[in-house]
Amino acid sequence: MQKMKVALYLVLALTLLVGMVGCGPAATEAPAEPPAEEAPTAVPPEATTAPPMEEAKPYEGVELSLASMTDQYVAAFRYLIPVFEEETGIKVVMDELGYVDLRTKTVADFVGDTAQYDLMTVDIVWSGEYGANGYTLALDDFMARDAEEMNLDDIMPVAWTLGEWEGKHYAFPLAGYANVLNYRADLLAEAGIEPPATQEELLAAAQALTKEDGSQYGIALLGAGSAGAQDFMAFVQQHGGTILDADGNVKVNTPENVAILEFFGSLFDYAPPGAADYWWDQRESAFRDGIVAMMEGWSIARAGYENPEISNIVGLVDITKAPVSEGMEPQYGFGGWGIGINADSDPVKQEAAWEFIKWVTSEEVQKEWLRHDGAPIRRSTLTDPELVAEYPWLPLMLESFEKGNGDYRPRFPQYSIVEDALGTYVNAFLTGQETAQDALDKAQTQIEANMP
Amino acid sequence: MHKKSAAEKVILTLLTVLVIIFFMFPIVWLVTTAFKYGRDAFAIPPKWFLFDWTFKNFQEALDNAATGKFILNSLIISTGATTLSLALGVPAGYAIARTKSRLINLSSYFFLLLLMVPPIAMLIPFYLIMRDVHLLGSYWAVILIDTAFDASFVVWMMRSYFADVPREMEEAAWVDGASRIGAFFKVALPLSIPGVAASALYTFIYSWNDFLFALMLTSPKTKTIPLGILASFSAVEIGWGRMATLSVFAIIPAVIISLFLNRYFVQGLTMGATKG
Amino acid sequence: MTQSFTKTMRRFITNDGSYLLLALPLLIFVVVIAIYPLFFSFRISLFDYRLTDPNQTQTFVGFGNYLRAFTDEVITNSVKATLVYVAGTVVVEILLGLGMALLLSAETRIAQIIRSFLLIPMALPPLVVGLVWKSLYNVDFGIIPYYLAQLGIDLGRGPLSELHLAMPSIILVDVWEWTPLVMILFLAGIKSLPTEPYEAATVDGASRLQSFWYLTLPLLKPTFLVVLLLRTMQSFKVFDTIYATTAGGPGTLTTVLNYQIYKVGLTFFDMGYAAALANILLVIVAILSILYIMVLERQQL
Repeated sequence: MQKMKVALYLVLALTLLVGMVGCGPAATEAPAEPPAEEAPTAVPPEATTAPPMEEAKPYEGVELSLASMTDQYVAAFRYLIPVFEEETGIKVVMDELGYVDLRTKTVADFVGDTAQYDLMTVDIVWSGEYGANGYTLALDDFMARDAEEMNLDDIMPVAWTLGEWEGKHYAFPLAGYANVLNYRADLLAEAGIEPPATQEELLAAAQALTKEDGSQYGIALLGAGSAGAQDFMAFVQQHGGTILDADGNVKVNTPENVAILEFFGSLFDYAPPGAADYWWDQRESAFRDGIVAMMEGWSIARAGYENPEISNIVGLVDITKAPVSEGMEPQYGFGGWGIGINADSDPVKQEAAWEFIKWVTSEEVQKEWLRHDGAPIRRSTLTDPELVAEYPWLPLMLESFEKGNGDYRPRFPQYSIVEDALGTYVNAFLTGQETAQDALDKAQTQIEANMP
Repeated sequence: MHKKSAAEKVILTLLTVLVIIFFMFPIVWLVTTAFKYGRDAFAIPPKWFLFDWTFKNFQEALDNAATGKFILNSLIISTGATTLSLALGVPAGYAIARTKSRLINLSSYFFLLLLMVPPIAMLIPFYLIMRDVHLLGSYWAVILIDTAFDASFVVWMMRSYFADVPREMEEAAWVDGASRIGAFFKVALPLSIPGVAASALYTFIYSWNDFLFALMLTSPKTKTIPLGILASFSAVEIGWGRMATLSVFAIIPAVIISLFLNRYFVQGLTMGATKG
Repeated sequence: MTQSFTKTMRRFITNDGSYLLLALPLLIFVVVIAIYPLFFSFRISLFDYRLTDPNQTQTFVGFGNYLRAFTDEVITNSVKATLVYVAGTVVVEILLGLGMALLLSAETRIAQIIRSFLLIPMALPPLVVGLVWKSLYNVDFGIIPYYLAQLGIDLGRGPLSELHLAMPSIILVDVWEWTPLVMILFLAGIKSLPTEPYEAATVDGASRLQSFWYLTLPLLKPTFLVVLLLRTMQSFKVFDTIYATTAGGPGTLTTVLNYQIYKVGLTFFDMGYAAALANILLVIVAILSILYIMVLERQQL
């Protein structure tokens, strides 16, 4: 009895202690120092440019809650938010969430009318759903009001697909990604292989670059869940296919798509054995680990390969346009993130949230945004000589953006139903559970059953 | 009794060692990974103990304001659910143990049935109700649904505990003029502190470990540790170090209870499962 | 007549009345927090009710959602997956748990210490259990595929992606987590065995194997039943570890019913259908629960 009492107090004391240790830093809130970064320009971007304004802080004291995907750009948010808070007196509390959880939590927030988040990063593929259902605020009035200071013409035309739906803007372009082919210049040179320019060459190169003993694989791919579905759709686009029929209805089980799925499957023969289970994090880790020669992926990850803290392949990577099927008019997958304002939020918070969007997407801040692992949306950023010198792949991104297709994943309100079914059955095909035809037939059935 | 031969002893020892390895290696992996740099976490062949031990992950976790918030929220929700479950469940357990009314007696099975309800079946309607009463995202939403399960466990457990406590002292108290309720508080309750403690441990652990309810019912302000652990995975890299570090915080109650309070925990488990 | 009535009344007030008063707060709480939602769940299962519908219309469809469940291939698959999962976990855990109970039943200090360490897995947050095992199973960097490769066993796409390995792999996670509980329940059962039959058996020259087979096992029958039903019901509830390891894959191979209900209800917010599925699960589990209660009742006698 006595012993137990002592032990109980011990538990209580320990939990309290843990709680206190954990809470300690909470009082100080935002990190005092910006995280370490490669670029030496740690000067807050607007500290020099913004003139001291008397009436400058109309929303001082407003607290905003931001839901952000833990993509590369989250590092830029971590760095920039304290700067923004300093300048405007608006407090921004960021909640970092993984891809699946971000969607679940924000949609739950919308349908529950709970307004837990005022700002949220919106994947390009969710923009239709958020717009059609009125989850996020249409930003057009704000944009018209502040058009002059925002220089909207500077934003790449394709970037508007990040948040546009039926003529209105439900998310503002935040981070534009181009689908590109990353490859190990050293390995390709060693094998005497030119960077593949077509899908057919990609398959041949992947085969040639795979070593029997398992020490090197040709290509890294995505095979599971949302990631697998999206990678498959990227290949459908690169083969000139579509998952919609002429009337815009979902039709995934066409003979063309079955053939493309089979092609996609044959690439997996030259991918690391675990690839059928890869999400983005595992694919990135495999490429940076140095066991893979090529990887198609979003341009935002490019800078990370030069960071010795996380990469074994510093200085070895080159980048080229994503190969399309032979004879096809080149068109490149475009993706990325917009940032939206919760339609249920209080109007004052919505105004303050708009201030944040304007600020973070402004020409001046975009430079720092890019330098801290953000991704560009403005022509001025992509062509800035200083930045091009630091990031020599920007011209290639510019070209990909100009021929970018942001709609190869249909951005309609039922997109997530399509993605879920494709994710399940593409994976079923890759793991040998279904043939390509059966997999897409079942995906089609599932999509039709779940459509409202 | 039969004497065990030497060969038999060796085999038994070997089996015991195998059991220990199987059940302990994931925990050792988890705890050591929290002390590893990224390159050691992914090292092939694996490095079990000979690597550069570092507090870097803990430093980062503690520097992040969110970590403290997750732990605090977990403490608030677990403590709240435990307190409420005991306050509601212990008296009810006593009543069921002592009553002669067939109806009240039967209700113990009703609580047992409730304990069996799959959490997801309860969560779907509960989510909608919480939405309508605007409690989504509050501590209360999680505390209430946790308590529905926890309190049912406490009743079932305390009923069998009180059944083993002799009635004589309560009867003596009745003779001295105490009411039934007075006797419960003054006589029966103090005698059953170990049972209450065992119930408390079990309910605390249950709420602390809960993931599904917290996933759907908390807001960014009331997020608990399991959700924090989940967020340590990003699209950028495999976050084993961060995951392991936050997990170490999350398993502290489990380890303390298993190693130091195991007698009461086991009592809770066996009684909860078997005593009719 | 009146006298006996007032007497009964007074008895009721002092006895049952007081007890009812002690139990009442919980009864009210449970009716409001648990029973009402379950009725509510039945009501919405009769509607086509999607939270993602901007107009939030609720269309009465009768038993349409239930009929949809029976024709939905994903659901029939998930029922199958659930049954395989439950059967696999329960059988392995009972065998292993009984073995461990016999192995560690000695009341020595060392056995006690080992037993307390074995409690840790089941006290851990199931989500953490899932994430740890997912990491251990990782085919590129995980330690399990590494050591098996050293032994010459090739896991191909990895334990969680190979069709014949995925289900056994997640069953193993459950076995790791819950076998200690089974062990404890068997230990309690073994401790309460009478000693006389064993003495008699020894006198009759029965071997230890014989006395185990003909005495211990039959005497442990009640414990077997309790463990079987308890673990079956708990196994039906699995969610966190699946969420953290396979997320239902490869394909739909490990999509258990719980996980599918979560997906339908809380990611697509197709509430009517989700409620119908949840109620089907509820009926399955309720039948098992009633069996369990009947066993417990019999044991008391």
